[in-house]
Amino acid sequence: MDVEVQIPKGLLNKIVDAGIKMYPKEYGGFLIGFYSEDFKTLHITETILPSEYRNSKYSFERSAKGIKGELKRLYSLNPKQHYVGEWHTHPDNSTQFSITDLNAMIEIAECKTVGINNPTLMILSINKSRLNDFEFYVYNDKKLLRYE
Amino acid sequence: MAINKKEYLQEVLETHKMSHVNSLLDKYRDKRKSIKEALEEHYTDKIYSPLNSGSYAKHTAINTKFDLDVVVPFKKKSFSTLEEMFDDVFDFLNETYGTEATVRKQKVSIGIIFYSDNDGDEISIDIVPGRELNEDQYNEDNKLNLYVHSQYGLLAGKTHLLTNIKAQIEHIKSRDNERKIIRLLKIWKSSNNEDYKSFLMELITIKAFDKDSISGDLCEMLESTMEYIRDNITKDGFTLSDPGNSGNNVADTLESWQKENLSSKMKNMLDRIEDNSDNLKIYFPINPDFKENEDTKSSEGYGVKTGASTFSIPTQNQRFG
Ligand SMILES: [Zn+2]
Repeated sequence: MDVEVQIPKGLLNKIVDAGIKMYPKEYGGFLIGFYSEDFKTLHITETILPSEYRNSKYSFERSAKGIKGELKRLYSLNPKQHYVGEWHTHPDNSTQFSITDLNAMIEIAECKTVGINNPTLMILSINKSRLNDFEFYVYNDKKLLRYE
Repeated sequence: MAINKKEYLQEVLETHKMSHVNSLLDKYRDKRKSIKEALEEHYTDKIYSPLNSGSYAKHTAINTKFDLDVVVPFKKKSFSTLEEMFDDVFDFLNETYGTEATVRKQKVSIGIIFYSDNDGDEISIDIVPGRELNEDQYNEDNKLNLYVHSQYGLLAGKTHLLTNIKAQIEHIKSRDNERKIIRLLKIWKSSNNEDYKSFLMELITIKAFDKDSISGDLCEMLESTMEYIRDNITKDGFTLSDPGNSGNNVADTLESWQKENLSSKMKNMLDRIEDNSDNLKIYFPINPDFKENEDTKSSEGYGVKTGASTFSIPTQNQRFG
């Protein structure tokens, strides 16, 4: 794939703050955005935080309960904003995805109500007080590819 | 026929990308995770959360060889001496993994080298125990005292080494050009069985970028960095300070003949590449195990499912690790 992703600094900070609040447990949310006309660039514009989730130092499970209304509202904007992927933190750990993460992305891409083939996964390595690093992966055909 | 050096080197990097070797990396990660969990369970509140170091966490790893470390930060009061701490961790790991791996004491770490698995992959992970310098301050200053295992000559007489492990990781972040050059030098190192320390190659590249104004395309940056190494590594007083401890001169880990060697290797490579750009292929080979995949090679953009006309609703429940 020949694609890129962009995220505004303010949104990144918002995500980092939400992640650090949950330290030392993992935390995450939904990524919202839109693709450029040539489908080469993903602009991430927003995150929706889950209303229900379970988490520990090494896992994060989120529910999509209650977000349909918000998704509908975002889709009515111009340009249409829609669900483009997921983010979660790895407290005191690298930004490398786990097998669980890959399997989750396979399930998401194959889900009937998901209209995109290449959802994005963002992993943030954080510690108690700040962001160490973050990485975006794009899902394609049962693999997660790093943007470089 | 002369090759386009810049495009060739980009392809080299592409074929050595980590994403193409995830199954081996996943094995490392699984082992590392289980070791961390075993340590946390055994030492409970004597330690802070173990953290990953090593070149992968530093983002410069290439996929032919992994170099993964786990740092285990002990609390100040956990052991009365660093040696006790080091020996206790060794005993615990040896007891726990001794039947499936060789466990050995190394300079500042304990190496666990697992016996080859069914795929012939041999996984080795280094565990670095450290004790916080100031009581209850580790979370603030990240300072650890490491035990230096005494059979190693270089630091003989020194029984401990102060390091700031997080500074080592931070140092290399967000330097994209440096990262690419470091990865190319590591590809050279592992493809040609050179045993220079990765950390040394990282520091010298960063210094080259800081001291010389290195610019241009990928190949020009690589060549300038190699020239910098050629011209500077043998100089008297040339230092590479460890960002984790500015008192450590990492250049001192090489004997002077090794420095001469490194300098002449750089000179030789530069000369031969100048003679014929095809020689780049010898020093910086394409990863032979890389299978070109039509899907990933295509210049397609993001895909939308046919018939998808309304907004997506993500899966109901989804677990990440
Ligand atoms: Zn994860």
